[in-house]
Amino acid sequence: MIITGLILGLVITLAGNMAVNYTSTDEYCISCHVHPVADQSWKLSSHHDNKPGVIIHCTECHLPPKGHGMLFAKAKHGIKDIYGFYFKDSTEYNLKAKRKLDMAKKFVYPESCTKCHQNLFPKTLTTEGENAHLSFLSSKTEVSCLNCHLDVGHFDPNNKHEHNLNFGNSVVPNTNIYTEPTAVTTFASFTEKIPGTSVSFDMVAVPDGQFLIGSPKNEPLRKPDEGPAHPVKISRFFMAKIEVSWDEYLEFFRATSSQGRKEIEENENVDAISGPTPPWGAPDQGWGKGTRPAITMSWRAANVYCKWLSKVTGKKYRLPTEAEWEYAARGGTKTPYFFEGSPKKFTSEGIFKKIFGTDTTTIQAFVVYKENSLSQTMEPGSVKSNPFGLKNMLGNVSEFCSDYYSPKGYSGNKKMAVDPKGPKKGQEHVIRGGSFKSDAKDVRSAARDFTKSRAWLITDPQMPKSVWWYSDCSDIGFRVVCEVDENIK
Amino acid sequence: MENNNKGLNRRKFLGSTALAGIGILGASAILSGCKNEKDAKALGLPPILKGAPKGKKLRAGLVGAGNRGTGAAMNFISSGPDLHIVAIADVFQDKIEDCRQRFAKLKMDIPAENCFDGFDGYKKLMALPDVDIVILATPPQFRPEHFKEAVLQNKHVFMEKPVAVDPVGIRSIIASGKKAEAIGLNVVTGTQRRHQQDYIETYQQVANGAIGKPVSARAFWNQNHVWFRTREEGWDDMTYMIRNWNNFCWLCGDHILDTHVHNIDIINWFLGRHPESAIGYGGRARRLTGDQYDFFSIDFDYGDGVFSHSMCRQIDNCANGTGEFIMGTEGYTNCINTIWNLDGSVKWEFKYPKDENGNETNKLKIPPYVQEHMHLVYAIRTGEYVNQAEMTANSTLTAIMARTAAYTGKKITWEEIFKSDMDLGPKEIKFGPVDMQFEVPIPGTAHKA
Repeated sequence: MIITGLILGLVITLAGNMAVNYTSTDEYCISCHVHPVADQSWKLSSHHDNKPGVIIHCTECHLPPKGHGMLFAKAKHGIKDIYGFYFKDSTEYNLKAKRKLDMAKKFVYPESCTKCHQNLFPKTLTTEGENAHLSFLSSKTEVSCLNCHLDVGHFDPNNKHEHNLNFGNSVVPNTNIYTEPTAVTTFASFTEKIPGTSVSFDMVAVPDGQFLIGSPKNEPLRKPDEGPAHPVKISRFFMAKIEVSWDEYLEFFRATSSQGRKEIEENENVDAISGPTPPWGAPDQGWGKGTRPAITMSWRAANVYCKWLSKVTGKKYRLPTEAEWEYAARGGTKTPYFFEGSPKKFTSEGIFKKIFGTDTTTIQAFVVYKENSLSQTMEPGSVKSNPFGLKNMLGNVSEFCSDYYSPKGYSGNKKMAVDPKGPKKGQEHVIRGGSFKSDAKDVRSAARDFTKSRAWLITDPQMPKSVWWYSDCSDIGFRVVCEVDENIK
Repeated sequence: MENNNKGLNRRKFLGSTALAGIGILGASAILSGCKNEKDAKALGLPPILKGAPKGKKLRAGLVGAGNRGTGAAMNFISSGPDLHIVAIADVFQDKIEDCRQRFAKLKMDIPAENCFDGFDGYKKLMALPDVDIVILATPPQFRPEHFKEAVLQNKHVFMEKPVAVDPVGIRSIIASGKKAEAIGLNVVTGTQRRHQQDYIETYQQVANGAIGKPVSARAFWNQNHVWFRTREEGWDDMTYMIRNWNNFCWLCGDHILDTHVHNIDIINWFLGRHPESAIGYGGRARRLTGDQYDFFSIDFDYGDGVFSHSMCRQIDNCANGTGEFIMGTEGYTNCINTIWNLDGSVKWEFKYPKDENGNETNKLKIPPYVQEHMHLVYAIRTGEYVNQAEMTANSTLTAIMARTAAYTGKKITWEEIFKSDMDLGPKEIKFGPVDMQFEVPIPGTAHKA
């Protein structure tokens, strides 16, 4: 009896082992993962096509090694795969998004990387590599191998692991070069022309007025930092109709970019504005440039942009204050959004919403957010304007404000303050408007957020890190405002 | 391996008498379990040797043949059997000749074809396949480049402190140290207090709780003015600066690195960590050449309420002295040989060996400058691996953080100094005119590095 039991046990163990091994072969993986892209890009990658002729198989990266929760991970991924195989259409997968860092981290295991790559300091490592690996050792909990080596398992011709010295340098020849900026003589919307370029953009005249900044206590899904709501007076200003586009930002980049690393100079000598260093990889994430919002620039870089734009146009451009931003976003409305609808209805969070869905037709017409963005920025043409005629105030990319952020909300603010500028001191700056990554509840007019300087630079392997580009935030951009000359009636 | 540390001896003694019945092994296991006392090995302490063990012939090349370099090379050959200096590199031919003559007196002839001058001499020396070890003793500006090449050429390394003058150099040293570790190259550094038996045994006492929890510290290196060279006719800018290297920050790192790093290193060692930040003062009152300060006073913040006051000065006719001090919750120590109770009574004292006539002495039989080479040779010949590169890089960076705090008047954090792009050297190192400004740093303004 005992012997039979032992034999049976042995057979089960062996069979189990064989099953685990069989279901971990490349052939077995590919039999379900029908999208041919994965197979092709793997074969082109350095984990398949390399000098020593070593092939690294699917499960060597996509499962942790034995003893690091291999069977548990295998079961977890197996169940997801079976569900996907029977209930989903693989052609509908957003593979581009799945190859981004935050997704990739869910199905590649750092223990698997270090199982083979045990020596982080081979003799051939370059100085840049040394700095990067020293940086990794000092922030192991926040950075994984993937932050820098994202495409080693699946080749991506667009993902360059180097300083992108050519970024934004391909100038399209254009005969229509503006020689003068637009002269503004009346308080009315106008189209600004950037002298020396063929780029123009629309500025909307935002009239002065008074409004309640923040959200009332009964607004669904609000956060405490949005209160207490209080009245604020705002002077008139011009605001860009759309977020600063790549077309606009690249003119600045070409005009001011510096090859070497330079600190942002705080002096007023505008003749000597030194702009961004070449970025790492592709700041546009391969989504395209044109009228899409420029992204991943630092808050300080956005300010230098405004300084440059002021210099070339002879006007006073700057980032909006938080109060100006919300005033403009509301366009006179007091509701959670400038259109009809409740955040409770639009949010996709919660189990019922996940199963039954919800009618989001209205919000989809006005806002680029999680549900309609395909995980990337959109061109401004894809949405309708708000009551002031501004586009993408909510969604698409989060926008820098000039204020420091205070988590205490508006509790210390004066009622009926005129053009408040936020706390005098602080660490991080206010960002507003939510982004293509946001849930509907986070694209409300009153929703607040702030820059996360450390987290947004965690991958940057340079020492010191860039002052111009964020390495780890792809949904931040900005919008300019222009002060109204006092001579204008 | 000789291991005459007191903890082990005492245990063996107890084990073989009072607890004879249980057996020595069991007893010492029980005892160490009860007392929870860490021995030298558990504390990562270097062996105290009477000489390097016998083994295969080891040939060293000396890079930087000045006083310290020649001294280090002498220390090396005297540290054990069958150790030789076979090559010399120095930027100046006259330094090479002086050094060769000193070795000739010891009947150790270094062939002329193994002597290399100029700024690339070190590369030629390290390309020699017969060289097993390199001794790096040039001004610290050049250390990172030399260490990098040594690792590339598979040489074991002895290198002098400080190991760099700026954060760019420090990171290079740490990375090269890790590369050396990956391929099994041993690295010993010239922070010789770490090889001094009296420091080592005091450390062991402190690590095992003799002063309780350390709560504050101080470290100091106050001395008379040091050497300097005035410019001679015919010397170009580069020649002058290198001959007078001890007075230029880009070559020397200032004296807070050059000498005070020893004391700073002790505090880092005893506290078991580097400081989180530094604030400090410094100035230049009496110096005649170069661009450095001649006094510093620094407050290091080690976190958890622990601070260390560091001071160093090179001015004549002042109160002099060097040393360290750590205050604990249950006592205090001078780190070198004595531990006091809080009431001032002596709790423990290191016993120095007696001389030939049986008289008390206050020094070790083997100088630490030789002991450190014994350790390197011991490591190579026995396979007991040693690598002090990162440890000394961290202590050097601690001094750089302090120097920057004094130069700028700002609070400097470890995080920012570790990641700084400060690089003090000229773009190109060659003889001739050098286009560099040598303004003395003014607190409240950025250091023009």
